[in-house]
Amino acid sequence: MKVAYKHLISYIPSKPSIDEISERFFQLGHEHEIDDEIFDMELTPNRGDCLSVHGLVRDLAPFYEIDLTSDIYEKELKELELGFVNHAPEACSHISFLKIDIEGEIAPYNRKLKEYFKDLNIKKNNFFTDISNYISYEMGQPTHCYDAKKIGDLSLEIIKEEKKFHTLLEKEIVLKGKNLVFLQDGKVINLAGVMGDLNTSCSSNTKSVIVECAHFNPEEIIGKSVKYDLKSDAAHKFERGTDPLCLEKALRRFIKIVSHHANIINVEIYKDNFVDYTPIKIPFDTKKIGDILGIFSDKKAFEEYLLKLGFEILDNKIIVPSYRNDIKNLNDIAEEIARVIGYDNIPVTPLKMPAVNAVIDIKILEQNVKNFLIKNGFFEVINNPFVNTEQAYAIKVDNPLDSNRQYIRTNLQRSLIENLLYNERRQQDSIKLFEISDVYSIDDGLKTKKVLGIICSGRVGKNYLDFSKKINIQYIGSLVKELLPATNINPINIDRKSFNTKLNNEIIYLELELNSLNDLNEDLLTNQNRSFKDYNFTKYTPVSEFPSSSRDLSFSIKKIDRYYEIQEYLLAYKSNLIKEIFVFDFYKNQKNNEIKIGFRFVFQSHQATITDIEINNIMADIISYTNSIEGVTIPGMHKD
Amino acid sequence: MSSFNDIKPPKLRPQFGAMHPINQVKEFLIDLLQGYGFTAVDGPEIESEEFNFDMLNIKKTHPARQMHDTFYVNNKSKVLRTHTSPVQIRSMLDLNPPLAIASAGKVFRKDDDATHLPMFHQVEGMYIDKQVTFSELKDLIHKIIYAIFGQDIQIRFRPSYFPFTEPSAEVDILSENGKWLEVLGCGIVNPVVLENCNIDSNKYSGLAFGLGVERIAMLKYGVNDIRDFYKSNLDFLNQFK
Repeated sequence: MKVAYKHLISYIPSKPSIDEISERFFQLGHEHEIDDEIFDMELTPNRGDCLSVHGLVRDLAPFYEIDLTSDIYEKELKELELGFVNHAPEACSHISFLKIDIEGEIAPYNRKLKEYFKDLNIKKNNFFTDISNYISYEMGQPTHCYDAKKIGDLSLEIIKEEKKFHTLLEKEIVLKGKNLVFLQDGKVINLAGVMGDLNTSCSSNTKSVIVECAHFNPEEIIGKSVKYDLKSDAAHKFERGTDPLCLEKALRRFIKIVSHHANIINVEIYKDNFVDYTPIKIPFDTKKIGDILGIFSDKKAFEEYLLKLGFEILDNKIIVPSYRNDIKNLNDIAEEIARVIGYDNIPVTPLKMPAVNAVIDIKILEQNVKNFLIKNGFFEVINNPFVNTEQAYAIKVDNPLDSNRQYIRTNLQRSLIENLLYNERRQQDSIKLFEISDVYSIDDGLKTKKVLGIICSGRVGKNYLDFSKKINIQYIGSLVKELLPATNINPINIDRKSFNTKLNNEIIYLELELNSLNDLNEDLLTNQNRSFKDYNFTKYTPVSEFPSSSRDLSFSIKKIDRYYEIQEYLLAYKSNLIKEIFVFDFYKNQKNNEIKIGFRFVFQSHQATITDIEINNIMADIISYTNSIEGVTIPGMHKD
Repeated sequence: MSSFNDIKPPKLRPQFGAMHPINQVKEFLIDLLQGYGFTAVDGPEIESEEFNFDMLNIKKTHPARQMHDTFYVNNKSKVLRTHTSPVQIRSMLDLNPPLAIASAGKVFRKDDDATHLPMFHQVEGMYIDKQVTFSELKDLIHKIIYAIFGQDIQIRFRPSYFPFTEPSAEVDILSENGKWLEVLGCGIVNPVVLENCNIDSNKYSGLAFGLGVERIAMLKYGVNDIRDFYKSNLDFLNQFK
């Protein structure tokens, strides 16, 4: 909701600065941004009463003298004879209709009205609708204007059958399910609290208007504007709750604004309250309020704050104003007082909690499994549970994000395959991933199980021992045997045929139900009471989106003193284009007293696809140095 | 001079994998809370509307209950929990006060854009005892924030709205660039919620708080795009060893 600073301070004689108002709003819990003296308010959903200039000014009353006296039409109003039947009093407890007839030209809008449209960049419509929109902005009460010439007998009903409805925004919709509507001759002319229809709406020619002003039960309005994709300020307000006792005041304000711009020849009102309003009363227990907040119970101060916020105190009871539908109990009252004091001004009192805690066994098991896999080079991944098609016993999402995510996964296999293929496309040649997650099924009732999924493919490792070894069933079998000596496992080799990949590394997948594991190798159990001081939150470097390229360099070393030197030099070689260096080959030739050692250099740029020239420059630098070392040769390369 | 036989093969550098950074932050927070006396508890991700909303005083009219905010499953008989707070309800129904529990896990909201994901993680804590006050809640929140972001961090409390706490607050920290960042929601447990769980609200009161794990992880690690956590990119995961 947008509101102009100048409109707010027009009710505050001391004219506080925009920064001061902004600070007060934050203190009160009203988040906002300011752009060119316009507050863009982000109000919490319980504060429907603040969705207007008056509502916001009312909330500022504990800090400033305010004057919310409205210029309203004060004279007695004639009764409007209207054929109206309310068949849904539980959905609409209070309703009024106002009929105004005008004649002659409409004068240019006065200053307040002009500013409203200009400063808030609001599109003008027609005279009566413009006033309706302004009243909603100023007082928070939505109204709807019908062209009186197009209105006959009306009824308000909850319909359940499908009906077509042509909105005033010229959108044709089909109402489905339960809807609260105004009907005329069996036709829907208004989706109550959301939007009227095109046929009965006002135009620039309208001289006789019927203004409908109602209090709707939020439950009947909520979700309708989203369901039918109708942007409606009225619905936004009704969903959050309006003041059931402000209808006549809003309509009298309407008349007054009309009178500022046109010659009124007739005005009549229809009023109906179907449910008597009973104000909420809360015992004024100042000690309890102090206890909730942990502050001294200052009855006088509490009373002053509440009175300024519009509450009344009678017979030691707090009477909640009709516009505050969010106040139900003493905790709500304590919050009102805390907002006025300022949360940051409430003192801090040391909390002493009893020392009770226990670690759940399953967490220890889970942590030990994780530790084992991480120690063996596996990375944990987390996937969301939504998949496109699943087995018959998969749980269906009733309102999925899209058709590709309409089931909850029953296992982790598909997610982990996607993770593996994603990394293969990013040129990873040794991929070891695992995930631990709950999975669900609906076979004979809702079933949950916590499972461990392991997927791996490619090289066993990036060192001279594992570089040439490929991950296969035996690898995963012996690894898991170490973790779970007595568990029979059945890893599977996943067929690559359907994956559109040229690689031929085996993909090995294993899934185990975590809760059923009971033979964890005791030698692997670790103490779980890790201190939080052990956590290391290193700042991360964004990953490159460009392809990598690798080069291998092998050396023959006959002067064995140079063996360590060359390792130290190459493994510590720094370049922002080098992603990784490791020894992929090592061989001691006892016969010739010769060492053969191979290094792999992986290059990647963060700025662009790395070029051969960039790689060759770095390699030339490395070769130049290594070539100069006596007793070290690069096979196939002439030494200078 | 060393002899040929003394030559040792190249040192095998440990090739550790890594726990997912979100789980690292989650565990850090749970460890922290256990250190204060909270007991870690778990709950199901597929919940009833009763536990996810009704018992927590989230009325049928609350926007969060609408189909565009909450995932409903199995012919609307259940929801994917929208927060970890149902675990608090289950704990209050199972245990007698005083009780101090912390829960962590996945939660789901019907969002999917550059800054919101349909699945994310929360850590929550709740403490119920005789006369727990808002000023004590502030003490606990200060301790938590200082433990996460250091003693020098500037903190502010703002009134907010959560149906299950009253008064409710959101807590911001002042970032290096001078902007306030919301990091935590908290409040005094609404007496309606206590009564829903058969706890006498005249005798007991409580505090509760919740943190978004992704938000904390982004701030701690300096990750700017929340989606990076869930691409399962080894180049990304490799940085969190």
